[in-house]
Amino acid sequence: MDFGFSEQEEAFRQEVRDFLAKNNPNNEATIEIGEDMDATLDGIPKLFAWNQALYEKGWVGYSWPKEVGGGGGGIVEQMILKQECAQAHAPALGISFMGLAWVGPSIIAYGTEEQKQRFIPAILKGEEQWCTGYSEPGSGSDLASLQCRADRQGDDYVINGQKIWTSIAQWAQWMILLVRTDFEASKHLGITCVLVPMDAEGLTVNPIKTMNGDSPFCEIFFDNVRIPVSNRLGEEGQGWDVTKHALANERSSIAEVTGLQHDLEDLRALATECRINGRPSIEDPFIRQRLAKLQITVEAMRLNGLRFLTKQLRGDPVGAETSVNKLMRAACEVEVGHLACDIQGSFGALTKGSPGAVAGGKWQKKSMSWPAVVIGGGTPNVQRNVIAERILGLPHDS
Amino acid sequence: MDFGLSEEQEQLKSQVRRFLDAECPVDKVRTLIEAEQPYDAALWAKVAGLGWTAIVVPEEQGGLGMAWEDVAVVAEEMGRSLFPAPFIPDLVAARAINALGTDEQRGRYLPDIASGSLIAALAMIDAGGPASPESLELSVSANGSGLRLDGTKDYVAWGQAAGLLLFPVREAGGASLFAVPSAAQGLTVTPLTLIDPTKRAARIELDGVSVSEDQRLGQPGKAWETLEGVLDAATVALAAEMTGAAGAAVALATEYAKVREQFGQPIGRFQGIKHRLAELHVGVESSRSLAYYASWAVDNAADVPLRASMAMARASETLEQAGEECIQIHGAIGFTWECDAHFYYKRSRYSRNLLGSPEYHNERVLSVQGI
Repeated sequence: MDFGFSEQEEAFRQEVRDFLAKNNPNNEATIEIGEDMDATLDGIPKLFAWNQALYEKGWVGYSWPKEVGGGGGGIVEQMILKQECAQAHAPALGISFMGLAWVGPSIIAYGTEEQKQRFIPAILKGEEQWCTGYSEPGSGSDLASLQCRADRQGDDYVINGQKIWTSIAQWAQWMILLVRTDFEASKHLGITCVLVPMDAEGLTVNPIKTMNGDSPFCEIFFDNVRIPVSNRLGEEGQGWDVTKHALANERSSIAEVTGLQHDLEDLRALATECRINGRPSIEDPFIRQRLAKLQITVEAMRLNGLRFLTKQLRGDPVGAETSVNKLMRAACEVEVGHLACDIQGSFGALTKGSPGAVAGGKWQKKSMSWPAVVIGGGTPNVQRNVIAERILGLPHDS
Repeated sequence: MDFGLSEEQEQLKSQVRRFLDAECPVDKVRTLIEAEQPYDAALWAKVAGLGWTAIVVPEEQGGLGMAWEDVAVVAEEMGRSLFPAPFIPDLVAARAINALGTDEQRGRYLPDIASGSLIAALAMIDAGGPASPESLELSVSANGSGLRLDGTKDYVAWGQAAGLLLFPVREAGGASLFAVPSAAQGLTVTPLTLIDPTKRAARIELDGVSVSEDQRLGQPGKAWETLEGVLDAATVALAAEMTGAAGAAVALATEYAKVREQFGQPIGRFQGIKHRLAELHVGVESSRSLAYYASWAVDNAADVPLRASMAMARASETLEQAGEECIQIHGAIGFTWECDAHFYYKRSRYSRNLLGSPEYHNERVLSVQGI
């Protein structure tokens, strides 16, 4: 075991820190993207400048191959980069979020040369936002049962059907979409992946209001939406493979862990400011137990991540292990919101706009926002299935 | 950056596993726990022959001078096999002697510990938990030209197996540590009966036991800080052992869930079962990460109290859940003596409060950070 870094790695860390000191848009004030339109509009140019500075460094798509414009960087350097950015409360490493998370990797793996040249630079430069058309009203955890259809007509596909829970669809320029092209084939083999411009005729986007009042996701209707066959990613019927590849292109959990560490610091500060039962909340033995347990879980996540990373560095493939930290993260995200409100005692029920609301109700909002990360990308129960079946070797559900 | 076992550690791990699978499978464990002898001398001699009793003894004293990381590797495997022998107490005592003793004292005890001919144990539990200077139950006083020890230690892990006992006692406004042969006059050992039959403990009464100055390890009243560090190292080793036991409980339950059929299918297909096993796997992975990191921390003197408490708090939770679920997933057969599930459950009940409850360690996680 060796938790040190090489001279080269330490030099890289210093380079990242110097870069952040100069370019991190959150050095002055955190950019709030949300329902406050003025703050959001004020923040957007800063995010573009951030993406541009990162892009010039070759740090957007840091692990992507150099020939498509990525950084071609190593695993440890990537971890250092993510860790330092998260530590400095910097925004994500590039603003085309889903483009970077899985659309880009899928295009790199399955796209034609033309598709790579058309889409990858725009993702790296942050010029285009992508959304992801996977879930349907009848196909959530059982994604492969999807029914949205595409019929071939000459050199076009004609798409009809519905998608739902599509994050940032109202702002995206492009969608990576799963459609059924073969209703005779088995459910996994009849699926095809296509790339759809959001301004296509016949495509309707309706934002859905969530329990915290925001509308981070949408429902989408396709009414004879026509796209050229050249927008297909991979072969016809290969859509499920493309998706599996995309979902396996796991981000390391290091940024999430650092985010949770920041939450822990905030919770401790909150617990010294708030009172329960006539004394500071930080002196309450039950609050203390929960603070400690949360910290231990976050630390276990960090260390699990390092063990999996070591496996990767030693050349062993990392597969379903990432579900371990996903499951732990889900529990932590829920607990952070709950604990923050419980630390406030009776005032924990006061929400934004109320006299006496602690920190303007931001923790109450957090306690109503966890489903975005807990349910998005596979519910905890799906993660449990993955661990049970792929790690423990228990029989499949069906 | 490398958070994995080294090649040598992987070899050590598989050596321990092969040895215990061959020499001490669960049938043998079942025989040993019925024996009056606290441990199997022949088996212990083989363990010593493989060098495991010499792991933390420095090379100058005939040991291997290896690291606490290596202790964690062996302890995890011993936990997996429910190995009923005083491995952790012996190595913890060796660590205490090495940390506090003079060269002469090291030379007196450590070569015999390394060779396996002497088993040592540190009496670190008082008043139902890990000792503190205030809770020490033994005192030292003048006895002619020498000294005498008096008092009762109600709970000494593997006390009846040890030829050498290390007693923390109140002295000079602090704590001192004395090394006392178990055959000393005035020393009475009464075996206790534990809920976990694979473990042993004893009550030890000292009634005017004569000791000389050269049996005191360290300066009078100045041993506590070092002993605290030794106790943290013991906590880490125990957490590794508990992680091994928890992993074995999960493996046993998983294998059963694959073959036991109800409603025409393996019960491992039901989410009521598979989701519990998935959660237990998460617990075992987390316990392993925290225990191994803590063992590295012991070797590198890096936030040891924090790391030890994190590892123990998580290991306690994990083993408790694994032990209980292993019984539940087996159903009624899990309640029988014949099924091995109860050993892991009992191991949890034993280990959980031995060196501090999870609640104690949770609290300590905050207090050592100044919170």
